[in-house]
Amino acid sequence: MKLSLQQQILLFTLISSALFVVLVTSIIWSTQVVNITVKRVQYAHQVEDQTNVLKQFILSENIYSSDYNTDNWLALEEEFNTLLKLSPVLTPQQQTIQNSISSQNKSVQRLFNAIHKNKLKNANPAIKKHLKVRLITQLDAIRTDSIQLSNISDQDIKNVIKNQLIFVLLILILIIFTLAYGAFRLIKVFKTSLNEVKMAFKENHSGHFQHIHFSNPSEEFESIAKAFNDMNEKLSVTTISLESMKKIVKERTQKLEQLSNTDSLTKVANRRALFERGNAEFSRIQRTKGQLAIILLDCDLFKNINDKYGHVFGDKVLIHLSDICTKEIRSVDFFARYGGEEFIIILPDSGLPAAIETAKRIQQSLASHFIKFEEKDITITISVGISTANEQHNNFEALVKDADSAMYKAKENGRNRIETTENKNTIIKKA
Amino acid sequence: MTIAVSKTPLSNPFYVAKAINAFDGTCVSVEYLEVIGGMTAFGKVMNGDVDFGTSSDSVIAFQSLSTQTFVTHTMFSQSDNDVKLITRTADDIQSVMALKGKKIGVIKRSASEYLLSTLLAIEGLVMADVKLYYYKPEDLLQALHDHQVDAIVPWEPYAYQISQLLGDKIKTHDTKNLSTLSFNLISLPPDPLLVEKASCVILGLQKAIDYISANPIESKKIVLRALNLEPSFIEWVWPDYIFKLGLNQSLKINIESQARWAIETQISEYREESTAEHFIDSRALLQVAPDAVNLSR
Repeated sequence: MKLSLQQQILLFTLISSALFVVLVTSIIWSTQVVNITVKRVQYAHQVEDQTNVLKQFILSENIYSSDYNTDNWLALEEEFNTLLKLSPVLTPQQQTIQNSISSQNKSVQRLFNAIHKNKLKNANPAIKKHLKVRLITQLDAIRTDSIQLSNISDQDIKNVIKNQLIFVLLILILIIFTLAYGAFRLIKVFKTSLNEVKMAFKENHSGHFQHIHFSNPSEEFESIAKAFNDMNEKLSVTTISLESMKKIVKERTQKLEQLSNTDSLTKVANRRALFERGNAEFSRIQRTKGQLAIILLDCDLFKNINDKYGHVFGDKVLIHLSDICTKEIRSVDFFARYGGEEFIIILPDSGLPAAIETAKRIQQSLASHFIKFEEKDITITISVGISTANEQHNNFEALVKDADSAMYKAKENGRNRIETTENKNTIIKKA
Repeated sequence: MTIAVSKTPLSNPFYVAKAINAFDGTCVSVEYLEVIGGMTAFGKVMNGDVDFGTSSDSVIAFQSLSTQTFVTHTMFSQSDNDVKLITRTADDIQSVMALKGKKIGVIKRSASEYLLSTLLAIEGLVMADVKLYYYKPEDLLQALHDHQVDAIVPWEPYAYQISQLLGDKIKTHDTKNLSTLSFNLISLPPDPLLVEKASCVILGLQKAIDYISANPIESKKIVLRALNLEPSFIEWVWPDYIFKLGLNQSLKINIESQARWAIETQISEYREESTAEHFIDSRALLQVAPDAVNLSR
């Protein structure tokens, strides 16, 4: 049977109370037993005293005297008989002694009466002496019995007190043990259950909505556990964990960052990303005194393409151009749409020759890869302006501005050309 | 170990001890040799036929005057009406005084002879005033029946058997309380081993006596079976009996006074009194029930 904490506390209280009642009852009982036994001792002493009186009487009186008056003797015997009749309740063993006392008292009376009846008129002194000794012997037997009765009663008192002491100690130990066990058990249930509740809350805090399972189940804590477990079940369904949330946020942030840095049409880096990277690279060469080149390329006659083939094809041209450029640059290079039909390639650790080489490679690739428009092959050309970073450049924008100037120069000089700002002599390269 | 047990209800503690296996828990295995009369038991002890015997204080008193050495370890039962004076109804003997000059059958050197002397003394008579005839306890009935004697002084259960057999033809005189007979455990003067054995026997007796106190009805049945008696007999004598262990001053005085009396009344051929203390060994009883020993004044 499973008991609730309240029932357990009630049970321990009842057991302790019952034990206490047993204790008190046993003390009252033993007090009464001791009282009875004390009465027995008193009785035994009274018998002894009275026997001594009778003995003294026989010794001192001349019971064979012809004019001897038996009134005093009869009075003493009457007193003794009354005492024997009023004996307290005795144990079987004591009753045996009491029977012996009564029997011997009757013998005393009988012998005394026989003596008194004819005063032993014919008897010689030896007979008289012998019968008197017999009387005294009988009285002495009574006295001895009363001493034994007293001794037995004394022993009884000792035994009762000893047994009671052992009993009281045992009951006390039992009470203490019960209380200690009860307290220990309740503390254990409370302590472990509270700890388990605390742990469960900690787990919840970490997002683990687990059930509480008590190692020391109790009705009261089980009700808490049930409420908690119900709550956790709902929470686990409706709540996303912090970790999951962080992951989602990170993914979304990455996505957003990607979106904000990407050109929606060509899927290459946009102007914002270009300047972010450009500024970073410019800062780097300022620290390292290294090289940096940029290529600004513009799709030739793009407005005409739009007008002639439509904006959709124009967009296709830009995507085609982006694909070619992406393919032809190094992995460390950075390609971005600068705006409209203009693109910029950042070439870290590169000087003018490497930049020109890259630009040429792109021009050649464009020349060999056509775009089809209604079964017609269309060739795209680009005008390229290249600038390399030097002491006059204060920032990345200045570098771009130089590349832009070079590109316009390429336009002015007939398109499909590469112009640089390294020296003022324009290099015209045709793909 | 063998004990000569006199066939009398006074030996009840021995029968009960056997019936309740009271000796099982003690240190001895006990065999009984049933004998008739404490005198016979005494003789068996003296001859070395048995280790212990049961004898009345009268036997002890008479034998204390002889040169034999023996001890009593404990008294275990007593009766104030075990020995009785029986006469024929037809002879119309109403009082002890009327016994003067009569033939009286007694058991030699026993409580029987002692009671007769006491009864005579109370009336102012002496043993010489009557004609004594000695019999074995079991032969007294026939002696009275055959008119060999005018009166007999038997003890139980013979007194009861006579009254049952002869009914109205005999008269049992009221002698209750005029003498007290006690039964005792006796042996030769013991060595420490025999004292140890005696304490074992006494321990068994104590168990039996406690049983008798607590279960009188069952105890009566035990003695009835042991002595092959009728229930009415035990109801007749039971109130006269007291079963308890003891070695006390009164036993000592009793033995001494009986011995002195035996000399004075010329029952005994011996003339030297001896001290009863020589015949009492309290060591065994002190081990079992020290409260029951009370020998100092």
